[in-house]
Amino acid sequence: MDACGTQAAAAAAGGEGTQRTLYPYVTGNSVIAMKYKDGVIMACDTGASYGSTLRYKSVERIKAVGKHSLIGGSGEFSDFQEILRYLDELTLSDHMWDDGNSLGPKEIHAYLTRVMYNRRNKFDPLWNSLVLGGVKKGPKGDEKYLGMVNMIGTHFEDNHLATGFGNHMAIPILRAEWREDMTFEEAIKLIEKCLLVLLYRDRSSINKFQIAKITTEGSTIYPPYALKTNWGFSAFENPSKGAVGTW
Amino acid sequence: MSRRYDSRTTIFSPEGRLYQVEYAMEAIGNAGSALGILASDGVVLVGEKKVTSKLLQASRSAEKMYKVDSHLACAVAGIMSDANILINTARLHAQRYALSYQEPIPVEQLVQSLCDTKQGYTQFGGLRPFGVSFLFAGWDRTHGFQLYMSDPSGNYGGWKAAAVGANSQAAQSMLKQDYRDGMTREEAVALALKVLSKTMDSTSLTAEKLELAEVFLQPGTGEVQYQLCSPDAMGKLLAKAGLTQPAPEA
Repeated sequence: MDACGTQAAAAAAGGEGTQRTLYPYVTGNSVIAMKYKDGVIMACDTGASYGSTLRYKSVERIKAVGKHSLIGGSGEFSDFQEILRYLDELTLSDHMWDDGNSLGPKEIHAYLTRVMYNRRNKFDPLWNSLVLGGVKKGPKGDEKYLGMVNMIGTHFEDNHLATGFGNHMAIPILRAEWREDMTFEEAIKLIEKCLLVLLYRDRSSINKFQIAKITTEGSTIYPPYALKTNWGFSAFENPSKGAVGTW
Repeated sequence: MSRRYDSRTTIFSPEGRLYQVEYAMEAIGNAGSALGILASDGVVLVGEKKVTSKLLQASRSAEKMYKVDSHLACAVAGIMSDANILINTARLHAQRYALSYQEPIPVEQLVQSLCDTKQGYTQFGGLRPFGVSFLFAGWDRTHGFQLYMSDPSGNYGGWKAAAVGANSQAAQSMLKQDYRDGMTREEAVALALKVLSKTMDSTSLTAEKLELAEVFLQPGTGEVQYQLCSPDAMGKLLAKAGLTQPAPEA
């Protein structure tokens, strides 16, 4: 954790020094999201790690944005809070126009893309992977939207997305089993399947999850809950069986 | 008269008037007129071209009608050089919004920002106001087709039909009498031409003296379109409305 040292050394050298974010400190892990019949569903665990320590266990990493969107963030949690502050300012000025218009998920995703990309160009990134999902009434009916943007400004849209380890473990499941117009219950089942795999296999995940949904009626962030896990494998019963000696 | 209160734009007269703003509106009253009419399936803008000398090079760009974005256009009346500055500002503003949000700017937000700029020139800086009035025609997904009129004071309003420039008051009252809700674009064009023919100073209405633009949704794709009428189509429209008079030199 030598970021301060670099600055002090540079200051002592008399020059301005370079300011750049070197690594994140408190990080949230995977966020998974997918479109379903009524809108978009998003889920993640409520943990934030400090390096390899599972330091904070009740962190809300999915938040509502305006009337039409949800944002989920993984990566540096303080940067996620900063992004929420930017979005607060954005939604406030949107509200102050008072003209019947409101920013939809596509606009917010585009805005975040600009922010992330411009920060990376200054070598001072917001160290996050963000998932932005929502529904907004358009001329062709209710338009569902799901997009992602990461710390270097790469952005894209899809029917299902994940960040971090979710890319490796959840996306293959989603690609195999996601369908257009799933019901809420079907979507929850699929998301829980992904969350369970991450719980078993991602060492920085904890067994406390939050699911959120956004529909034309608005957003709901459900209270945290735990998944049932199964550790009853015979190989776990006597772990030292077969280990000869104590070396 | 309270001439001593004229020289600075940023002060009131004792009667509570902003003379410079009023003088700007005078200037516009001498300029070529423009009409805008809101129809059920689009917005129609018609403008009178003041300068129609034979010596004028036929230019591809329009004199009265300007596209601000794919979904937004405006007609101007007043000092053209002032108009160009504001139109540039409007175009930049629309593109900045599109870059940040990847969506077309809502029409009223664009009009309001432009009017905030115009208002600034009536309150600080010591600069004269812009001598332009605009008719903005546009479409957005929340409010559909809209028509806005703005003047040098920075005031704007949403209108069903509006007129700016020379004889605008006469045109406005004629529009008030003849406008009906739910007009189609075709009917709106006919009405606009009729009103212009009665209020324009020149004796005859020819295609070279007019510009016509429409904002509407493309029938197949549903995308917003801005279309400037070609001189030939203009001639046909005038003939159809029974308004053409043969030109003196063939």
